[in-house]
Amino acid sequence: MKLRRTLAFTRRALLQFRHDRRTLAFVLLMPLLMILIFGYTFGGDVGNVKVEITNQDAGLEPGILPALPQGLHMASSVIDNLNKNTLSIHNSSDPQEARQVVDKGNAWAAIIFPANFTMTLIQNLNTSQVSARPIVEIYLDGSNPTIASAVIKTVSQAIQTTVGEIANKLNVKSIEMPITINQVYAYGGGDTKFIDYFAPGVISFAIMMVTTMITIILFVNERRDGTLQRLLVSPASETEIVIGYALAFAVIGIIQSIVVLVAAILLFNITILGNVLLALLVVLLLAFGHQGLGILLSAGAKNELQAIQFIPLILFPSILLAGLFWPIESIPSYLQPLSFFIPLRYCIDAERSIMLRGWGLGEIWVDVAILVIFAILTLAGSVLLLKKRD
Amino acid sequence: MLVIETEKLTKKFGNFTAIDSVNLKVDKGEIYGLLGPNGSGKTTIIKMLCGLLRPTSGNIKLGQTVPSKAVMREIGYMPQDVAVYLDNTVHENLFLFGEIGGLPKERLKKREQEMLEFVDLTDRRDAIVSTLSGGMRHRLSLACALIHGPSLLFLDEPTVGVDPELRATFWKYFEAMVKKEITVIITTHYMDEASHCSRVGLLRQGKIIAEGEPNDLKKRTDTESLEDAFLVLARGNKP
Repeated sequence: MKLRRTLAFTRRALLQFRHDRRTLAFVLLMPLLMILIFGYTFGGDVGNVKVEITNQDAGLEPGILPALPQGLHMASSVIDNLNKNTLSIHNSSDPQEARQVVDKGNAWAAIIFPANFTMTLIQNLNTSQVSARPIVEIYLDGSNPTIASAVIKTVSQAIQTTVGEIANKLNVKSIEMPITINQVYAYGGGDTKFIDYFAPGVISFAIMMVTTMITIILFVNERRDGTLQRLLVSPASETEIVIGYALAFAVIGIIQSIVVLVAAILLFNITILGNVLLALLVVLLLAFGHQGLGILLSAGAKNELQAIQFIPLILFPSILLAGLFWPIESIPSYLQPLSFFIPLRYCIDAERSIMLRGWGLGEIWVDVAILVIFAILTLAGSVLLLKKRD
Repeated sequence: MLVIETEKLTKKFGNFTAIDSVNLKVDKGEIYGLLGPNGSGKTTIIKMLCGLLRPTSGNIKLGQTVPSKAVMREIGYMPQDVAVYLDNTVHENLFLFGEIGGLPKERLKKREQEMLEFVDLTDRRDAIVSTLSGGMRHRLSLACALIHGPSLLFLDEPTVGVDPELRATFWKYFEAMVKKEITVIITTHYMDEASHCSRVGLLRQGKIIAEGEPNDLKKRTDTESLEDAFLVLARGNKP
């Protein structure tokens, strides 16, 4: 393999993109558009969720407990501590009424504090044996899991904050919680936004789509126009042709990734805990693999129209099974094994680990190894395909 | 000196025999014309000679060896399609084929200049190919086949879809190349063009039915034109 001949192909392809402004725009703008659309539409966290609150808590009268001379009204404190950006609160005096509002679909949840809410907590303070825990009822419309979990998360955060305040006042270390939700984050923490989770997927997905589409069309045109035949009747080897084009896509892939990363950082303030260079390297491996796949698929298409028909074939399994929008764990269990055959899965997995967990090559090497194998197989297959003489 | 020699060259696609036991001998410095109607197997022979298709049976010798990457440096190939990169400039196309043809940097620059002059595209050097006329693209295609300085040139129907003026120009190019000791194998179904060839082989249904100098063929069949000669020979009349 000669470097000069290999780079001649890289140069040619890159110059083509430079002249073909529309394709260049597509290559750069498509990933940007994706991160913008997805970032703004469902990148933001849930907000303005309508809830009904019924506060029946009688509280603790002042002067009864020496430790709390001002008395205590725990439910009110919890309500004060609710995130008002997430929840849009309407007060309702009757719990039954509040539930009905939810039943009618006019609110997502009814949050009901019982009369003994504060007192149960106080009683627990005095005994080592916890007889009954204070209960807050959340009457939920669970039809939208994202909203439902946002409500629960907001309420439990408010309770945690309130309990913390009371513990401070009482000068004790911990208090038995009204709802035992123990949130411990190994990674990410409570402030991980959906866009943080989504950005690594968008980068991987955009590069996969662009690389596959452009490669298929590039090689269909090479065959149709006869330029490929001309390359084959030249001293250049099939390996040089494939590697030369792969390098061109590497350059394009890096530029795409940088565009998306910069946009995601500037507009959505995404988190990147790990090594950005490693993140780029992983996505390049995916690009190499899909370039090989594109060359292989191009052999099955006689023109651009036929080539485009391959797109949904790659697009849908990748969107649905690779964990782009929702976790693979949420796919029906009998379909989950299919995701093992989708290279995008490993790329998204590795990118999330790098960006959100700050992991390095030591932790993500399995993903990387699979992507390397995928790239080697498809590129080697492409070389063999080009070497094929009927 | 023989540049091309085939022995019982045969190509089958499934049950269909496209090329049937063709023995071809081409000398250095010849313009050898493969003549025949569409579907007679001209392109298939060229593709086998270039190594793009593998013969079903029979042998091919280019100089001393079989078609392989090792001899590609000596081969120039102009496929039937225009086969240049439409979204690149004239210069970029020439540069690519010069680079992969193995020309050193300085030599490539000089060759590009020569080629641009040869096919009269000097003032279009930086034009994107898709903006050029069909004739200009054809000329560029020829230049791309020639830039690395091959000694053996395969031209597959180079004059199809080319206007009469350009066809005349092309034949001037081809004759000029032979003077530089380039051997040219050309396919065409324009019988009138074949009179420019030093020798022609008449191809019909994958077989060479007659071979010789154009004037010789006319004499043998007692006809005025190669077209008539072909028709006489195709009917199986022995000359």
